[in-house]
Amino acid sequence: MILDDAIRLTEILMGLAFAQQSIEHVKSFANEQRLFIPRLLLAVLLIIGFQTAWVIVLLLILALAILHRFQGPYNGGADRMSLLILCCLSLVHFAPTQHWQEVAFGYLAVQLILSYFMSGWVKVVNPEWRNGRALCDVFQFSAYPVSESLRQWAQSPRQLFAMSWGVMLFELLFPLSLLSITSLGIALVIASSFHFANACLFGLNRFFWIWIAAYPSLLWFQQRIFAIN
Amino acid sequence: MLSTLKLLLPALLPSWRFFDVIAPSPRVQFTLLSTETESPHAWHEFRPRPATLSFATMLKRMIWNPEWNESLFLTSCAERLMEHPTQHSEDEIMTRIINDLRNNTQNSAMMAATHVQFRLLLVQRQGAQLHQNVTYHSRIQALHTRDVA
Repeated sequence: MILDDAIRLTEILMGLAFAQQSIEHVKSFANEQRLFIPRLLLAVLLIIGFQTAWVIVLLLILALAILHRFQGPYNGGADRMSLLILCCLSLVHFAPTQHWQEVAFGYLAVQLILSYFMSGWVKVVNPEWRNGRALCDVFQFSAYPVSESLRQWAQSPRQLFAMSWGVMLFELLFPLSLLSITSLGIALVIASSFHFANACLFGLNRFFWIWIAAYPSLLWFQQRIFAIN
Repeated sequence: MLSTLKLLLPALLPSWRFFDVIAPSPRVQFTLLSTETESPHAWHEFRPRPATLSFATMLKRMIWNPEWNESLFLTSCAERLMEHPTQHSEDEIMTRIINDLRNNTQNSAMMAATHVQFRLLLVQRQGAQLHQNVTYHSRIQALHTRDVA
């Protein structure tokens, strides 16, 4: 995937993710509508490709206002990934040369790789993740399971042990998928399935859309590093 | 402005430590009072999760999930309140409790109540058992003098 195509695809996917997030606030309090209705309109402009550089700058300013409004991220990691993509795309659009554009967009790709690898690393060094207890705790008493029936999963420690190791191994091995475009494609399908499962079980729908928005950077990065050289 | 930029830094240099430790989990409960000085006698869980959720509903929530995402934000506010109490976090939770109560006008207890208070329960595992501790009580808020923002 060439750089320009990857950037444009990232913009479209991020625009769709922002539109989805913003629509969820349209019926909310007035002080939220004042932030999210303009964001929805800017997301539409981004999707259709109207003045994308300036639209991204306006979205970044709006994101800072939203960060101030909620005194931090509204939706934790999903908001942080949104801000990261926005900042990287802003730098891409205002970079003086293609080299610096690649540095900014490459930074997004590296952070995406780290988002999986570091998540796996912090789990595997924790004995409670290695013996499956941590995932039992997630289902038993954390705030995330979307229904009471899902809390019963905590009664299946063998399955959760296997799931824990499946998740940790996938996250830790994710960087190796960059060795070929085929392995990367397979890894991204598995990763998006993982986010889909998290969205269904824990209601983390915003993570699903915004993480997928960063995938084009990785498809470009893989070809830039491994295919061309 | 500086404080907002400080909030931006973790996004530019993320740690990506998702679920590294399963920390004690807060629950928000509220009570309705008929006078400002009445002692609370019944605490209700705020937005209890449903017993079950169909796959079709889960799919719908991929696109439209405002209440759950708001509840996750309130969980963040509850965690912030227990770490570094701020007026902002308390207001965010209180405003949404009042808003939900006003939208539920069929509730007879709500019709009789003049004040509301919430508390935070911290659920954690100690050995094989789950324990709950009350860690925070909000101010007592009049229901009819406060406009929902």
